[in-house]
Amino acid sequence: MGSTSTPVNLKQRKKVSPSRASTTESKKGAGEADEEKIHSEIINDKKNFKIALIVITVLAFVSRFYRITYPSQVVFDEVHFGKFASYYLQRTYFFDLHPPFAKLMIAAVGYLVGYNGDFKFDNIGESYITNNVPYVAYRSLPAILGSLTVPIVFLTMKESGFSLPASILSACLILFDNAHVGETRLILLDAALIISVALSIYCYVRFSKLRDQVFSYGWWKWLVLTGISLSCVISTKYVGVFTFVTIGLAVSIDLWNLLDIRKGLTLKEFSRHFVARTLALIVLPFCIFLFWFWVHFAILTKSGPGDSFMSPEFQETLGDNILAREAKLINYYDIVTLKHKDLGAFLHSHNYHYPLRYDDGRISSQGQQVTTIKEADISNQWQILPPQDFAEDLRKGVPVSGGQTIRLRHVATDTLLLTHDVASPLISTNQEFTTIPMSQAIEKQKDTLFNIKLINGMVEPLKTKAGLLRLVHESTNVALWTHDVQLPDWAFNQYDVNGNKNTLEASNTWFFDEIIDLDDDRKVWIPKEPKSMPFLKKYFELQKQMFAKNNALTNSHPYASTPITWPFLVRGVSFWANQTDREQIYFIGNYFGWWLEIAAIMFFVGIIVLDQLTRRRNNNVLGNRTRSKIYNTIGFFFVGWGAHYFPFFLMGRQLFLHHYLPAHLIAALITGGMADLVFLELEYLEFNRASLRTNRNKSLIIGVSIFIGALIACFVFFAPLTYGTPGLSIEGIQARQWLDVKLHYSK
Amino acid sequence: MAPKSGKKKSASIPSSVSPTPSQSTTSMKVGTKNNTSKVVVKGPYDDRKTTLRDRIYLTIVFLFAAFIRTYKIYYPTSVVFDEVHFGGFARKYIIGRYFMDVHPPLAKMLFAAVGYLAGYDGEFLFAAIGDDYLEPNVPYVPMRLFPATLGVFVIGLFYLTLRASGCKSGVAFLGAMLLTIENALVTQSRLILLDSPLIFFMALTIYAQKKFEIQSAFSLDWYRYLCLTGLGLGATVSSKWYGLFTIGWVGVLTVWQLWFILGDLRVSAFKFVGHFTARAIGLIAIPIVFYMAMFFISFLCLSNTGDGASFMSPAFQQSLKHAPVIPDSPADIYIGSQISIRHVNTQGGYLHSHDHLYVGGSGQQQVTLYPHRDTNNIWLVENSEIGGTIDDSPLTHIEDGMLIKLKHVTSNRRLHSHDVRPPVTEQDYQNEVSAYGYDGFDGDANDIFKVEIVKSRSAKGPSQDRLRTIESQFQLVHVYSGCVLFSHNVKLPKWAFEQQEVTCVKGPTFENTLWYVETNTHPNLGDDVEKINYKNPSFLSKFVELNKVMWRVNAGLTESHHWESRPESWPLLKRGINFWVKDHRQVYLLGNPIIWWSSSLAIAVYVVFKIFAILRQQRGFKDFQSGNSLSVFDSGVGSFVIGWAFHYFPSFIMERQLFLHHYLCSLYFACLVLTQTFNYLAVRISLPLIKRSLALIFFALSAAAFLWYSPLIYATPWTKSLCEKSKFFDMDFDCNSFLDTYDAYKEYDEAKASEIINGEGLLESNLVEQVQGNVPGAQVIKVVEEPVAEVQNFIEPAVQIVEEIQQGIEGAAKQAQELAQPVAEQVVEAVKPVVEQAQEAAKPVVEQARDAVEPVVEQAQDAIEPVVEQVQETAEKAIEQIQEVIEPVAEQSVEDAKPIIEQAEPIPAPVADREPVTEEFHRSSVVIEVVTSNDAEPVESVPSVKSDVQPLIPEGHIIEPETIQHDEL
Repeated sequence: MGSTSTPVNLKQRKKVSPSRASTTESKKGAGEADEEKIHSEIINDKKNFKIALIVITVLAFVSRFYRITYPSQVVFDEVHFGKFASYYLQRTYFFDLHPPFAKLMIAAVGYLVGYNGDFKFDNIGESYITNNVPYVAYRSLPAILGSLTVPIVFLTMKESGFSLPASILSACLILFDNAHVGETRLILLDAALIISVALSIYCYVRFSKLRDQVFSYGWWKWLVLTGISLSCVISTKYVGVFTFVTIGLAVSIDLWNLLDIRKGLTLKEFSRHFVARTLALIVLPFCIFLFWFWVHFAILTKSGPGDSFMSPEFQETLGDNILAREAKLINYYDIVTLKHKDLGAFLHSHNYHYPLRYDDGRISSQGQQVTTIKEADISNQWQILPPQDFAEDLRKGVPVSGGQTIRLRHVATDTLLLTHDVASPLISTNQEFTTIPMSQAIEKQKDTLFNIKLINGMVEPLKTKAGLLRLVHESTNVALWTHDVQLPDWAFNQYDVNGNKNTLEASNTWFFDEIIDLDDDRKVWIPKEPKSMPFLKKYFELQKQMFAKNNALTNSHPYASTPITWPFLVRGVSFWANQTDREQIYFIGNYFGWWLEIAAIMFFVGIIVLDQLTRRRNNNVLGNRTRSKIYNTIGFFFVGWGAHYFPFFLMGRQLFLHHYLPAHLIAALITGGMADLVFLELEYLEFNRASLRTNRNKSLIIGVSIFIGALIACFVFFAPLTYGTPGLSIEGIQARQWLDVKLHYSK
Repeated sequence: MAPKSGKKKSASIPSSVSPTPSQSTTSMKVGTKNNTSKVVVKGPYDDRKTTLRDRIYLTIVFLFAAFIRTYKIYYPTSVVFDEVHFGGFARKYIIGRYFMDVHPPLAKMLFAAVGYLAGYDGEFLFAAIGDDYLEPNVPYVPMRLFPATLGVFVIGLFYLTLRASGCKSGVAFLGAMLLTIENALVTQSRLILLDSPLIFFMALTIYAQKKFEIQSAFSLDWYRYLCLTGLGLGATVSSKWYGLFTIGWVGVLTVWQLWFILGDLRVSAFKFVGHFTARAIGLIAIPIVFYMAMFFISFLCLSNTGDGASFMSPAFQQSLKHAPVIPDSPADIYIGSQISIRHVNTQGGYLHSHDHLYVGGSGQQQVTLYPHRDTNNIWLVENSEIGGTIDDSPLTHIEDGMLIKLKHVTSNRRLHSHDVRPPVTEQDYQNEVSAYGYDGFDGDANDIFKVEIVKSRSAKGPSQDRLRTIESQFQLVHVYSGCVLFSHNVKLPKWAFEQQEVTCVKGPTFENTLWYVETNTHPNLGDDVEKINYKNPSFLSKFVELNKVMWRVNAGLTESHHWESRPESWPLLKRGINFWVKDHRQVYLLGNPIIWWSSSLAIAVYVVFKIFAILRQQRGFKDFQSGNSLSVFDSGVGSFVIGWAFHYFPSFIMERQLFLHHYLCSLYFACLVLTQTFNYLAVRISLPLIKRSLALIFFALSAAAFLWYSPLIYATPWTKSLCEKSKFFDMDFDCNSFLDTYDAYKEYDEAKASEIINGEGLLESNLVEQVQGNVPGAQVIKVVEEPVAEVQNFIEPAVQIVEEIQQGIEGAAKQAQELAQPVAEQVVEAVKPVVEQAQEAAKPVVEQARDAVEPVVEQAQDAIEPVVEQVQETAEKAIEQIQEVIEPVAEQSVEDAKPIIEQAEPIPAPVADREPVTEEFHRSSVVIEVVTSNDAEPVESVPSVKSDVQPLIPEGHIIEPETIQHDEL
């Protein structure tokens, strides 16, 4: 680990003179006699930092690329992300909860190595070799990103002004972490996410170091780079919001201090600061974020498995889309089927009547039953009639459009659809639907009128498949509705249909499915160009769907875990298993590292609380320099850790251990900082600085060496679970079942 | 009251500084306070003392509030909204039957106590909204007077709280008057609902907290108000868990206070510990003890088993009286024991199999969890060797780690698992569990399970080493595949009677894999062996268990409800709740828009002001001079805004169904803020005339709004057109249910009154009401009316003809009678003397007389007969003629009428206006849903109290959801 370092406080705050140049100066002033020594130490220091950086980077690559070819099978969520890459390569539309950036990168790798995307990664354990997938190239991308994360962590520590051993410790916490290694050598998004988080923090640290060269080139450079890194985080996964919160909080505090009248900034100068940060950290990232969506839409031009998530308008923009082919204009007097969107069932009627009395004693109208069924049936056919019949010769070719009022004639029984103020069979608050013979068409005309309300609110000609609509009864203002509840035997267990008073409910959505016996020129389909749709409209639609689906991810998963268990590494996730050789990949972190981190965090919180309480009693234990380091530097990391961890407690969706990785990365920074603090700073106050320097350095080096030794030992011990090889004996597996970890083949 | 002398005051620092978010302001204030107390002998809070003027104001406001809250409190005379539940719960307290509710017991017990004192005997069921109170003589008025009284006290507390937080008497009076006419609070406090007690206890807490803040530390009053705050917190949280937010508010204020005391170097460390300890006891210990005490009382009251028992663990259920008895079982389990195995973590019940096969999967016999005791729950423990049987060899304990097979006794099939996906949970790591084999088949390797006793969950002693009834909890590990026997709250489809799924899982959640043996028999055991049964749970464990269940059920109330609303709509008062509709009147929970909106506005203005002020301060402006009106306003209002936020924002992260009345606590705070804002304005406006007229205008506006919407509070008549005009935002009170004019109400009421007086079938009037009560329904009648009128037109002439004919017949009959009478008279006269003679002649003469009479009679008959025949003939002829005339007409009319009558006669039920559902009502059904499908116990039918032994329910037991609500035991 080379020679020791002087604790150069590169991250100066407020009262300490700020720029790097002046740092050296102040050091010079520290003592004439030490001047030369310090100077040479700093040079050495730089050299040592460089050596350490190189060693760490090489080790990182080794650890991430070690046996990257194994297993040559689909592992865990490679199912998804590999599949998405294939969709990109084949340009077929798909739907996913995550923003496109990282997925695009993976696809780009496939594109660069010339893969055509034939393999669809359907099941865990499918062979890459037999399917000819360039999986090593795919895996190399996250592995490279994962490897680069380690030097970034190292540099962040260095730039924040921590000593070399502390920086090495932080880097090793990531370098020798089984969870980071495991997660970043597979085709997953987390590698991209984690490196973006690390970069954001690094860039912001660099930026804040230039606080005294405001609006200089370097200042702008690091500010913009922070923004770009942030955009990478948010474009990879939405948990990137937490990184925004982290940086945002730091920026707010910074701005708050700038606002202080004692800083002497005029309001105009302050607003320049404000606008610069807003542009670089909010507007720019958002534009880049949108750009990836634009690329996403630009690539995915063909119809694919994601079609059904989108609106018909959207689908019509995709090539080879079924909708584009089958959406046909509907005319009056066409015979059509009407399908409920959610249930996928057709509106149906038949020559049976509602029973006079229901089980609960209510009396029905005894009218003809109206139900829905999922099967195709001749009794699903309805004819669209205008409110008043057209003259005989004018009946052809009049298109139906949204906003118009229609009647529906049930073809098989020659009756008209009607609803009235009679309670429906199952739900007494909803109206009954029935049909009446055509002979009563005139006298009950009022009750047979339904208004077509298109979901998109437009008044445009109606098409089969594409035109999502609500059918709202004119006189009583209820919407035709059906739901997944079956009627009793008297209606052959078909689905219940009734009139929903809440006409705006999403479940009132229907569409005309097809036109029966189409015989005019609409029958022939002339291929046409896919429609276009404004990008932003596409984006908002997709975004809405993503959030809706994300919130719906609440069903339980055996490997899901609660956030409180994460820092303690109570249990992990099984990624892959191979019975023949007793091999498995089990996602679990480096126990020593994780526990060290949480201990450091607790220690940090303890120091903060104690400091606050003692200061409240006018009892200053810590010196200003130490306090600045604790509050400003480590405090910033702590906020980052909290912002990447605590919000998960509020989330209802299923959560996994890997959600903790960004927080873990930041916790590594805290740990390094705390090591510095414990071994250097705390003693710094009370004792003579010069006489103890060597001892302090020694204790720091010894402490860090012990930590790193333990880290490596623990890493090696759990490595078989991370790399999936070699297989372990039963005893070996049992020995690795710490806490609540349950491994395969342990019995 | 507090201040004694200025000197003393400066010696003992005021316990707390009114917390303001801005540190510098407060420290400035502290400074000045000391200065003033040195210069002026007046205590800093003297202007907050209650004066005679306050007493006068209070009296006025009390009387006014009492009038507003009790006006027509007897109406509606039927069950309104959630009275269904809270009345029902009161009933269960009175009859002592265990039930399950998501709210803590205090408020419900208070209603029960009031009901009991008022003579309610628990006969009335509170079964549905709209059930009549008058007929069964329910003392509902006293029960409603209780929340109304609390509602009046709330107004008084509101006034006093304002005074204690530095508001002027006049402004506090205005505020209290405004709160009195806040429609939503009036509506809530007139009905048997929990919100009135909740708000009362919360108001009490706020008052005590504010008083506490201005006492000098460690004085008697200081302790008094500290304890009162603690009790108030305890009572609030014991009424509804919503009180937790009040605790949070008091907690934050307390920490804030302590922070300042800590920074005050004149307070010695020792004193600080005193401050800390007193608050810890007063604000933590007292509420907890109070809360637990309420549960203790509740358990005492609910001593009998009831419909809520099924939510609880078996041990809990056993502690209730009249619960079905589970017999004592031998403690030790041996190879050859017949046992029933129960799942620990869910209330799914016993490991069960029955003579039905899986649909799909392996198609083998189903294995499920079934909640009731049944012979199909009995499994025989066999040793694992292939062909291993039970012989008379010495009894073998089931040791930890032993391999066993479990044979289902009634079907002779063995518990079995294999690499087939289960029917519902189809993940890769799940294996199906079935019963497999037949009598005489020795089983295969997939029948073997390893017993792993979980030592940490088993009773200390031998139960950790060998399997013992009840005391040992264990896992059953499938030896061949390594998966663990598992069950979770997932229902199987109908073909398995919606019982709970049992699977075998690799890497399962630990809790769901735990089992224990509940009953145990062995043929070779005598009666003298050690027996075991559930231990009676301690109060503490019952308390913890119930709270856990309440939490789970509460969190499960996620089903959407027609009247629910989301928090973002509350401050704007976008929509209310329909409580009751009957007799063309309705109760609809709606706030007073003027007060409601201005209170929201006051908060918004304050927040903007505060942000602006903080920014200005950072730029060096000194807005907060000590003691200026702005800083007084800031300190007076800050804590209330925090209180508002504490009671409001947490709702956003709650996923359960929420209603407008969940905002009422926040509204109370918002009204405090509003009044404090008025106070600030009152200070700033110097002219008293303007001040007073502004106050009067605001009050008049609010009062107008109150009166305008008061028909929705008191269920008094309103007209359709007025109602339509009064709607704003998404308000959906049903205007169609009102009549067109007020005169129509008079007519309606008179008609109804006369109907009742005439005793004309209540049923009929109900039917009419049902139809009329709902105007679209009346359309049905109109539709029917026309043809009926037509029929009537048709029938009327026919009826006339019939009447004429009847008259004709009557006339003919009269004529005939007239004709016949003289003849008859003659005869009688003729006979009389003969009879007399005969009688006189007595017995010997009888024969003679007969002879004499007979010819006479014959003669007479002969004389009459033709007359009678004539009459008959004429009558018959007349009738025939009439019939001939009528028949075609009648036939026609009948035929014409037939279809119409067929259609018209049974009036189909019109569409109900509203579901008779409320948050609580829904709960019962929701619970079933939740419980069965999600995370809790499946539905159990309520065990019968009368018969101690649970009947063994045969196969095909479909569990009726009704049973859980139905408590006619």
